[in-house]
Amino acid sequence: MISILVVSHGALAEGMLDAMQMITGPQEKVLALGLKETEAPEDLIDRIREAADALDDGDGVLIMVDLYGATPFNSSSRLFMESSHPIEVVTGVNLPMLVEIVMSREGVSLADLLQQAYQAGQEGIKLLPDTIRKGKTL
Amino acid sequence: MTVSHVRMDNRLIHGQILVSWNSHLKIDHLIVTNDKVAQDPMQVTLLKAVTPIGAKVSVLSVADCVKYCQSPESEKENIFIIAKFPEDGCELVERGLSIPVLNLGNQAFVRGSMKLSNTVFLTESGVKALKKIHEKGIKITCRMMPNDSENEFWPNIEKTFPDWVK
Repeated sequence: MISILVVSHGALAEGMLDAMQMITGPQEKVLALGLKETEAPEDLIDRIREAADALDDGDGVLIMVDLYGATPFNSSSRLFMESSHPIEVVTGVNLPMLVEIVMSREGVSLADLLQQAYQAGQEGIKLLPDTIRKGKTL
Repeated sequence: MTVSHVRMDNRLIHGQILVSWNSHLKIDHLIVTNDKVAQDPMQVTLLKAVTPIGAKVSVLSVADCVKYCQSPESEKENIFIIAKFPEDGCELVERGLSIPVLNLGNQAFVRGSMKLSNTVFLTESGVKALKKIHEKGIKITCRMMPNDSENEFWPNIEKTFPDWVK
């Protein structure tokens, strides 16, 4: 099974896993890592590497990070470049993406799961449907 | 030359810079400077690839950074320099970069460092570099975000590390 590693600033990743498991029930092979205010990027790379090594059963690890260009993203990208493990990285993690992906990660390839995460993240952002809005205009 | 800000930050380009500092300063050119980083092809690729703000990004040795900032090319740009460590900031000044203020940003804990604040840990060599910067008449600030105080921060460093500033 593909492992999921959520990497964020502060406690967001941990909170996301907590929220996700309220919806999906307890999940295996998911882990949250939060960049601490005092932490060097090099130390975060080490923690991501160790977590990915510990999680991976050979099917690979999908790393979901919170913000493009920021330290969790930079450290994950660095690991992607260095690592010989099957690792992929997607940024802009949100709850719709995370929920869909943890439920879809058996019997699929890492490349397909990455594409699915990319789509689910975008499709998860919606406005209220007209049936709810009724007469209220934007 | 128009270097609008020099920040010493071991996270290099990251969220605070892309979001808060860029909206405050409207950066044209981000220069990351540290000799070791400039010689690490993987890190150079990463730094240049991911910066989404539309600014030009360069990764230069400290010597090349100073040379560039003194070139005519740099005159029409609004440059934001990110030096990795205080030692890099000190070298910028010693190599002739003329700037009234150096800002101390994130400095993570490393072996042998001591705590100055929640986000800044300094080594003895870092404190000595800051002392040299101070002795050149350059103001040292300690601002993580643009709306943090612009007050002279040197007295706090002196007070926190009495043995290292001797």
